[in-house]
Amino acid sequence: MAENGLKIAHQNTRGYRVLLVFALLVPLFFLLDLLVGSFYISVPEILKAIFRTGNVSDQVVLIINQFRIPKAITAVLAGAALSVAGLQMQTVFRNPLAGPYILGVSSGASLGVALLVLGTGGLLGGSIVSAVSSWGIVAAAWLGSGLILLLIIIISARIKDIMTILILGILISSAISSVVNILQYFSNEAMLKSFVVWTMGSLGSVTNVQLSVLFPSVFVGIVIAFLSSKFLDAFLLGENYARSMGMNILFARMMVFLSTAILAGSITAFCGPIGFIGIAVPHIARMTLQTAKHSLLVPGTILIGALMMLISDIISQLPGSEATLPVNSVTALLGIPIVIWIIVRNKNTARL
Amino acid sequence: MNEDLQDKIISLSNGSVGYKEKSRAHKIIKSEISVYALKGELVAVIGENGIGKSTLLRTIAGFQPAAGGDFRICGKQISSYREKELAVLMSFVSTEIIRVSNLSVFDLVSLGRYPYTNWFGKLLAEDHYLIEEAISAVGLQGYEYRMVNHLSDGERQKVMIARSLAQNTEIIVLDEPTAFLDLSNKYEIVHILHRLAHEKDKTILFSTHDLTTAIAEADRLWLMLENSVEQGAPEDLILNGNFDNIFHSNHLYFDREKGDFRVRKETKKAAHVTGEGVALDWTIKALARNGFEIVALTDPADMTIGVNYPEWSVIQGSQQIQFNSLVLLCRYLNSLNSKGAH
Repeated sequence: MAENGLKIAHQNTRGYRVLLVFALLVPLFFLLDLLVGSFYISVPEILKAIFRTGNVSDQVVLIINQFRIPKAITAVLAGAALSVAGLQMQTVFRNPLAGPYILGVSSGASLGVALLVLGTGGLLGGSIVSAVSSWGIVAAAWLGSGLILLLIIIISARIKDIMTILILGILISSAISSVVNILQYFSNEAMLKSFVVWTMGSLGSVTNVQLSVLFPSVFVGIVIAFLSSKFLDAFLLGENYARSMGMNILFARMMVFLSTAILAGSITAFCGPIGFIGIAVPHIARMTLQTAKHSLLVPGTILIGALMMLISDIISQLPGSEATLPVNSVTALLGIPIVIWIIVRNKNTARL
Repeated sequence: MNEDLQDKIISLSNGSVGYKEKSRAHKIIKSEISVYALKGELVAVIGENGIGKSTLLRTIAGFQPAAGGDFRICGKQISSYREKELAVLMSFVSTEIIRVSNLSVFDLVSLGRYPYTNWFGKLLAEDHYLIEEAISAVGLQGYEYRMVNHLSDGERQKVMIARSLAQNTEIIVLDEPTAFLDLSNKYEIVHILHRLAHEKDKTILFSTHDLTTAIAEADRLWLMLENSVEQGAPEDLILNGNFDNIFHSNHLYFDREKGDFRVRKETKKAAHVTGEGVALDWTIKALARNGFEIVALTDPADMTIGVNYPEWSVIQGSQQIQFNSLVLLCRYLNSLNSKGAH
């Protein structure tokens, strides 16, 4: 028995060691993310501004506390949330290309935003920058993704076959995208631009006040994912095996879909649709942690997702220049080569 | 001697299986199924493709409702069990090959403890012990930390069986567990099932197309025929002629002596065969394949074939020809046949 215990401890230490490395890298890159921006601020000044000690100019305190810290926290939340959502979808659908948006959550959100921006934008005028209307966008996106969540839960309670649910999710997404296209077609240039900018994703538009909503939402989604880790392990073998081991399939599906929709829906609401992180990170987690157990993969994807998103944000700032890139393009350009590298290196990854 | 109802771990009486269709009526695939399995028995479900073996097993495993009749597990109707109650009584192994990367043998087998562990699936000392025991029972000790996607198909199926052992259930249901395996793995898997049934007193139900292994290892067969489902020891079913009805084909017949299905061949010529030992047996097989009827030495024949390994001789009248391999002998005999046909 003692010998068995040792062997098991030995096997799992690899996973925990890798987790520890990522846990140390995340704060490091968080700090790096605070460093970059159009205005140079040194590390001691940043630390002084955070802890409000010593004399720093009000301007520096403002930039750090009102802009850079909320943006870096948003990056951490977005990366963690999308990656955990993607992990759950890949496991439940047993499909390596599934991602957080596979259920149509983001197209639901974009329909809400499109209806608001393109539909009422004309009444409010071209400039939708005020805090009130940014809350409006968040509310519209929440409402859109919430309705899709409701639809998915109704469907999954009535339809047994998980692959049918996957196909319906993809079809619903496509149908909603078409509606959004029609709305775009009938809108004017200024409204169109503000909608397109939203679809490019942004971490910087989330204010401290909004964070007080985003943070608890992501927290709840991640707690549900942690609570589902035993279900997710069973889902790896498919629903027949899961049922034969006594799992309540409907309840487990509800937990996973609820978590995914809360995570993907709230990030999309506040940051716009951010692609590829949610597909790439779960694969990186499986490769580096060398495990399929979700009690390790969930924390692993949280840390790696946060790290990837911080790196994406640093790159999108184009350090040393005044310009910035849309974060959505950076995550895709960063995520795609990683996925390609993983697939080429390990053909088995194509099977999850 | 009658078998007591209490010993019947699985018991079906007048059961029918099928699928629910739109009209809420069932499409019945098989009905009037009255069979049972006793504690500690290895039961093989045999029948043609499409006869409903999988549907029957899925119904017993509780994945789909019965279309009618009485399906009992340990004396209670299957439909009256809750998922969790059934999970500690019966485990399931499918024919599907599980391909999950980065999943170790230990972690996969540990999933068998699912019905017993807490919400987070934490393994206690007892769980560790049962997992290791299950891995050893299928002969995979030392494989604990190999990744399942690096194993061969045979090893992977053993891991799935170990997982069902870790679930520690009285009944194990396996849907074609040997479908994708080569011959030696087929024998090994079925032999492992036989041993588990007898040593650990488990009731194991599996479907298969491989009659030879089923006849050799199963204690009981459920033979699904077109119009009925018969049960009994393999030998009972061979002796009472039920085996002849498995396939609806005029080309196949069941050879009761050899315990095997053979393709019916038109015999073209009769031959006497002399010789002894294994070489004689295999020569007779080769001759049968080529359409020769082996007749007793007292009956008339077209030729006499002498076996004196490693040499064969064909005597026709006064002519004698020597061969040093069966392939040459068979080619010569076939050339005779084709000449005869002209």
